[in-house]
Amino acid sequence: MALATEVYVLRDRVRAIEAAFTANGALQPEQLAAEPGPEEMAEARADRAAFVRHLMQPLLGQQASKGTLK
Amino acid sequence: MSLPEHAGDDRSFAAAQSFLLGAKTFWTTVMFPALRAEHEAVAATPGAIDNPDAIAQRLQHSTLYHSYAWLERHLQRMKYSGRYGLAHWVARDRDRLEAALQAQQVRLDHDLEMPRYYRSVDIHQHPGGLVGDSLAGFVYERGARSTTPLAGQHLQDLHERLANLIAGLGTPRHILDFGCGFGKSTRPLCARFPQAHVTAIDLSAPCLKLAASMHRAAGLGNADYAQADARHTGQADAGFDLVTSTMLLHELPPPAVEATFAEAARVFAPGGWMVHLDFLPQVQPRGDAFAQFVHYGHARRNNEPFMEPLARIDLEAALAATGFVDVCIEPFEEAEGTLAADYPLWRFPWAVVRARRAQ
Repeated sequence: MALATEVYVLRDRVRAIEAAFTANGALQPEQLAAEPGPEEMAEARADRAAFVRHLMQPLLGQQASKGTLK
Repeated sequence: MSLPEHAGDDRSFAAAQSFLLGAKTFWTTVMFPALRAEHEAVAATPGAIDNPDAIAQRLQHSTLYHSYAWLERHLQRMKYSGRYGLAHWVARDRDRLEAALQAQQVRLDHDLEMPRYYRSVDIHQHPGGLVGDSLAGFVYERGARSTTPLAGQHLQDLHERLANLIAGLGTPRHILDFGCGFGKSTRPLCARFPQAHVTAIDLSAPCLKLAASMHRAAGLGNADYAQADARHTGQADAGFDLVTSTMLLHELPPPAVEATFAEAARVFAPGGWMVHLDFLPQVQPRGDAFAQFVHYGHARRNNEPFMEPLARIDLEAALAATGFVDVCIEPFEEAEGTLAADYPLWRFPWAVVRARRAQ
């Protein structure tokens, strides 16, 4: 639940930033609401894979430490 | 003020679905090989029993297996359900999508009773299954795009490969496609055999309407879609020289599998072929006890109650009892290299069951 709370805080801040940018004309809200095209999705794929690996690696139950430094 | 249950915009939906697909890809390419390695390390010890039940006993205390199993269940659940799930996302556009389906040419049987096995489970964890909502076809179609993470948008290749395999058996003129869903098996048959006519049947009216819509959008003409039960199709005797199904048999309880074979035999012209593409772990190059354990676990976690019973049917005996000859059951290479004996990643145990009607 700690993670969910942090995510909600981030969502709240992003919403506030979007509102401020929209109010001063720097952002059209529909630009963010549209589903991205295949090119943008492809560009984001490596970032997604790195994020997922970082998140899920611990679930393998493998020790990541190399042990005591010699 | 009440908040919407769904996430609101297409970008949020796409980002959430993309994250889930990325997580499933990690599960497929990293967690599954790690689980196999953990199993093999224990299985190599003297006296270790190597069958699916013994493996289940050994892995019940494995942290990795717990994570693997939980993610298999819940990544799929989150794909379909919840605020970023497909069901909510599709329903946001209900009026427009329902209007698009109204215009489609499909023969519906309004008296057709849905079998109990079909209604009693949210198959694939799809809320309401394939007949629970008028938009179920759209949900299923979008979900199927990421069922096999490594296939991605290229899942169609699998069906084209099957059409190519069928072409090696002959040139059919009258094809009956059982359990066509939204037509992803039917369209490659129509494209590969333009001189043939394909009759595509399914229980689900929402899927059939979407199939007809996608068929027309693809510029194909040589098929018609009809609502019917594969066990009693209502088609004339001996009217087809090819009967096919893709991912249908594992959705049927064993008596329905046998009834479907019998119906195929009835509608066949002598000498015609029957070809089913489905999942059979024991006929794979790597179809060991671990592969069976993984497949049966997938069935439980993904609401597929008849997947394991299908794998345990003696299909050769069932087909012989129905009058089929030249029975061949073999693994199917759904993508390049997946039948290699050392293929390391998770995959469905694709297999082709084909047989010929006695002359």
